[in-house]
Amino acid sequence: MTDCNYACRSPEHGISRRSLLAGLIGGSVGAGLVDSGLGHIAGLSHLIRPAVAGELAAQQKRVLVFFMAGGLSQLESWDPKPGTDTGGPFRAIPTSVPGVQISELLPYTAQQMHRLSLVRSVNTKEDDHGKGATFIETGRRDMPGQRFPTLGSAVSRLLAPAGAALPGYVHIQPGGAGVNKADAAFLGPKFASISIDNGKPPADLLRPDGLSLASDLARNDLRRKANQRFTSRRRTAETEAYAYSYDQALQLMERADVFDVTKEPAADQERYGSHDFGRHCLLARRLLEQGMTCVKVSHSNYDTHFENFDFHIEQLGEFDRPFATLIDDLAQRGMLDTTLVLVISEFGRTPNINPGLGRDHWGSAWSVAMAGCGIQKGAVIGKTNENGTAVADREVDGRHLFHTYLAALGLDPKGNYPNLNRPIPIGDPAGELIKELLV
Amino acid sequence: MADEQTVPAQSPAPTTAAPAAQTPIVADPTQVRQVKEFKHNRPLFASRIDPSGRFVCTGAQDKLVARWDVDGDKKLEFAGHESWVRGMAFQPGGELLLTGDYTGKLSAWRYAADPAQPPVYTIEAHKGWVRAVAFSPDGATVATCGNDKLVRLWSAADGKLVRELGGHESHVYNVAFHPTGGHLASCDLKGVVKHWDLATGMAVRQLDASVLWKYDPTFKADIGGARGMAFSPDGAWLATSGITEVSNAFAGIGFAVIALFDWASGERKQVLRPKENFQGVAWAVAFHPAGFVMAVGGGGGGGALWFFKPDQPNPFFEFKLSNNARDLALHPDGLRLAIAHFDNTLRLYDMSPKPAA
Amino acid sequence: MIARPFARLIRLSPAPAALALLAFVCVWTDSSAAQEPSLAALIDQQVNSELAAKGITPAGPSSDAEFLRRIYLDLTGTIPTLGEAKAFLDDPSPIKRQQLIERLLNSREFARQMQRVFDVLLMERRPANRVPQAQWDDYLRLSFAANKPWDQLVREILAADGAEGALRPAARFYLDREGEPNVLTRDVGRLLLGRDMQCAQCHDHPLVDGYLQADYFGLFAFFNRGFVFTPKEQNQPVLYAEKAEGDVAFKSVFVAGATDQPTRPHLPGQKELEEPQYEKGQEYSVAPADGVRPVPKYSRRAQLATLLPRPETMAFKRNIANRLWALLMGRGLVQPLDMDHGGNLASHPDLLVLLAERFAVMKFDVKAFLREIALSQAYQRSSELPPGVESLPPESYAVAQLKPLSPEQLGLAVLQATGITDVHRVNLGPALNEQLLHERIAGSLGSLVNTFAGQAGQPEQDFQATLEQVLFVANGAVLRSWIAPQPGNLADRLNKLPEPPAVAEELYLSVLTRRPTPEEVADLTSYLQNRAQDRPIALQECIWALVASDELRFNH
Repeated sequence: MTDCNYACRSPEHGISRRSLLAGLIGGSVGAGLVDSGLGHIAGLSHLIRPAVAGELAAQQKRVLVFFMAGGLSQLESWDPKPGTDTGGPFRAIPTSVPGVQISELLPYTAQQMHRLSLVRSVNTKEDDHGKGATFIETGRRDMPGQRFPTLGSAVSRLLAPAGAALPGYVHIQPGGAGVNKADAAFLGPKFASISIDNGKPPADLLRPDGLSLASDLARNDLRRKANQRFTSRRRTAETEAYAYSYDQALQLMERADVFDVTKEPAADQERYGSHDFGRHCLLARRLLEQGMTCVKVSHSNYDTHFENFDFHIEQLGEFDRPFATLIDDLAQRGMLDTTLVLVISEFGRTPNINPGLGRDHWGSAWSVAMAGCGIQKGAVIGKTNENGTAVADREVDGRHLFHTYLAALGLDPKGNYPNLNRPIPIGDPAGELIKELLV
Repeated sequence: MADEQTVPAQSPAPTTAAPAAQTPIVADPTQVRQVKEFKHNRPLFASRIDPSGRFVCTGAQDKLVARWDVDGDKKLEFAGHESWVRGMAFQPGGELLLTGDYTGKLSAWRYAADPAQPPVYTIEAHKGWVRAVAFSPDGATVATCGNDKLVRLWSAADGKLVRELGGHESHVYNVAFHPTGGHLASCDLKGVVKHWDLATGMAVRQLDASVLWKYDPTFKADIGGARGMAFSPDGAWLATSGITEVSNAFAGIGFAVIALFDWASGERKQVLRPKENFQGVAWAVAFHPAGFVMAVGGGGGGGALWFFKPDQPNPFFEFKLSNNARDLALHPDGLRLAIAHFDNTLRLYDMSPKPAA
Repeated sequence: MIARPFARLIRLSPAPAALALLAFVCVWTDSSAAQEPSLAALIDQQVNSELAAKGITPAGPSSDAEFLRRIYLDLTGTIPTLGEAKAFLDDPSPIKRQQLIERLLNSREFARQMQRVFDVLLMERRPANRVPQAQWDDYLRLSFAANKPWDQLVREILAADGAEGALRPAARFYLDREGEPNVLTRDVGRLLLGRDMQCAQCHDHPLVDGYLQADYFGLFAFFNRGFVFTPKEQNQPVLYAEKAEGDVAFKSVFVAGATDQPTRPHLPGQKELEEPQYEKGQEYSVAPADGVRPVPKYSRRAQLATLLPRPETMAFKRNIANRLWALLMGRGLVQPLDMDHGGNLASHPDLLVLLAERFAVMKFDVKAFLREIALSQAYQRSSELPPGVESLPPESYAVAQLKPLSPEQLGLAVLQATGITDVHRVNLGPALNEQLLHERIAGSLGSLVNTFAGQAGQPEQDFQATLEQVLFVANGAVLRSWIAPQPGNLADRLNKLPEPPAVAEELYLSVLTRRPTPEEVADLTSYLQNRAQDRPIALQECIWALVASDELRFNH
């Protein structure tokens, strides 16, 4: 499978790093990690220059997850029931797909409907935030003593190129910082998401004051020399991984502004808007274009137990236009066919309207939206009954959705994670594909 | 001013006929009690009483406006709206009821007609919700406000736009005419109250009702607005009601409150609250001609009706309601209140002294 | 019995053979009082015979420097000071290795290291919500300092309810898992019996014969009656309590129309317990009431504490033997450590059986067991591949495995390497002792350990190098502050040494626990000559390069 010349024990050995590098740079790498500082960095940094990035990006599969934190109301978004006792005051509007209507709160998204698909028959039976999030993101019910990777971590593990400078999985959220180890579960922190806020790179990415570029390059040269000597008779996949991780970090430091959305064209910054979510969408576009494998954008908050209608006006008012803009941009740039887009939440909201004009947690009949890689365009799967109080047709839950996400990316949800020290299936063994959702 | 029972959103009108020989009955809030129930089939949202005191109209979480006989059993439904109606106002000295819905439409109804007639006109008053409707004291002009951040004035006779008042930077929650006419107050989500001079269409000053507003950083959303708004009959006071000290906007954890302004100076003179903080929203507020303030609210603990003196922060009387209360209307007899409740029921309460045993 | 391994040894190349012979003889003579060969000798017998059978030529013995660093890290969790390193390397005694092993095993640092190792093993970095970390640490450390046998330690932990003062910390195992029976079933299976039966919760394990749903629920039945009890009084600690009722039944999700099968508690593969029946109302010695912790007359938990940690429980012996072996050798005979089953054979099945049996015969004496492994040839092999050999299978033990330093080892090693620990030693002056030094260092360790640690409650993952970790070393303020000169630390000492050879010696001994090669000295000399104008910066670059190197990151 590889041409490792050492005893391979680590999960990394699945991809030959050397052959990846050699292929990209189009020249001999050889011992290649021991060039003089600047030349070496220049040699590798075109890995993330736009042109090559574009090529890489075009072949590579990506995932973009919109997490509507708190529980997005399906009745105020994807599955409106205007005029019913549960439907609330909003109307339904036509979309770019004949016969399909969504809530009037999503007028721009309605124009992108021909690129999206809806599943309206989700019954996860979970109305707890944590358990609901676990089920929809990991494809398995939350059970004590067990923890499975989220989609982003799974995909980061299964699809992210081993030599990539960018981290495989980033979570964009206001005030975000740090590594979310729980995401990756048994896959290990390497595949966890790194939380970032708009414009702020991960902690410690920037070279500190007091450390000059020359000094940094010089000391890394010394480090490489030391490693060369040490591993001349003691090389393992792990020593390679560790040594190389410093070079990856140096590359990323060179282009720390990949996390800075203000470097995008001013016209784009205007189109997306200056509010947090708008900037986050633009940042997501930027990162995906640069070849990041998985980007998760959280939008807060939808947990509207009180004044559900007012707050959904406010929140979806923030969401609608940048989301639609991003879908359109991805399509225009030829990236949508290789990017799986999900709009998910912990659960939906109750058809019943409470005395505070709110809706409560509801896992019995709600919706998710998807687009992109491997997904049908303009399809609506499943139905709820007339006033949304139950699924009427094609009931699915987190297991089926997870299987479908993976299959859409060309992965086998019934297979086991490769190179793990125990057999663990990627999808829940009791899950099945939603075949009609897949291309 | 005894003849003018100018409760906000209702116009000065002749009092119900009373024989000259009888002394007028004085309302005693401490004896308030429920005297009648009207059952609808969806949660109620709005209640208004017509100037003659014959009818009470309600809006609910449906597309209908219902007209009930105060002293009878008849119920009529006006159909035509395409969404919920919260804003409604009777025309002083006229025959129209104006109602605004959450699709932004404003309809005018000859409310006394039986059977119910289609609206005289329906106009696109706002983009997004019409949140409140108010009539000028002379019955000629209707004011509406909504989610498009605008206040608009319409000719009551034909629904033509008279004037547009822009400048609010968030949803406009409520609007009320000053009893002397010629001036209008509007209040938005963030508690900005604008005083409009209708001769010029200019906002001449702003009053600060920001006690009603909070940006909740946990949920990243704004909660606020004057849910109820009313001038006192003499125009000396403006009351705005809502929720304050919100610690959790998405659970509605905050306290019912009324901010009372001295209209002449524009200063907030009083913040009225139930003695023990009432968790919830003060959904409606009205002045009684006798000079006290009435308000209703609803929250986690059910509903309540409060009576305040304008110079005292706490009510002189609190009456627990069986259910969450969303709107309040004072009958022209000054004795009865029509309160719209969440449990699909309109309830009539009486403040007249109970007959002696 | 002695002749055969001896004969095999002669086939090795002369120098290693001589050394091995010497070690072997030393080992043999050490146990001359016994009739049987030492465990160390038996280990080598088994390992070497496998090597011979496979025609694998092993690496030679480790150099003194390799051995020195390896044994310090394994037994004390950190690298030696420069003085300790020099003393060992320059010591001509032929038995210095055994003596070092003894000295380290009997040190306070060993007890501290066992505390760390077993804290992670038993608690997997779960937060200490119910029992303060310091109390649990003390309990472990004092247990290892007293060389408490492993079976006794496990018995105390499994019997604990948190009520008894001195043994309260032992209840952390239960309490900081919130008494959740599924978590406990899985973790007791994995950590104490070497079996990850997670998948058997819903059905017989689809891929592993021998991990049966019946076994999962047999173990579960020991825990299902347990719960965390919160006293009504303020500031009273929570306890692990047990009801007298609650029965367990299970059915497979894969079998349509399956009916519930009841089960009483039992260890995997063993019979269900016979349990006493009480009349209604008679089941408790302290009846449950509001605010009162119930105490049943018959405790399933107490049964588990008696039955599990015994020589008769094969899985118990195998698990600990395998884990202690892996601690020193870098991989278990059964790998992964919690997947012991018929389809995942040990690399040396007979050796594992031997180790398990002998550990029980030694009365689960952890120190003695580790001593034997450390004295073995297999442990003391070099990690350098023999010349001409490109790779060797790790499960052959033909060459010593590279073991990534644990987060704690890494932190302690870097603190020692950069001389910060020495600064603390000097500051403590005559009051210096292990406890005080540990307290001084503990605060500095936190951020590094968090950055390098995996997720709480998860088994230790295979080695990964994450972006966060690399940036911590490359740009983080913490490491920068350790490397930057301060009185007495490495950078300060190097600044004061004028001659590059002295600098090289001080640098390599401090950071990598060895002397520099002539090439390394030459390289450093020319490097410093070119940087006369900013020598201190250049020296910090040199320190950083070695701290960030593979050689430091791994135990070899």
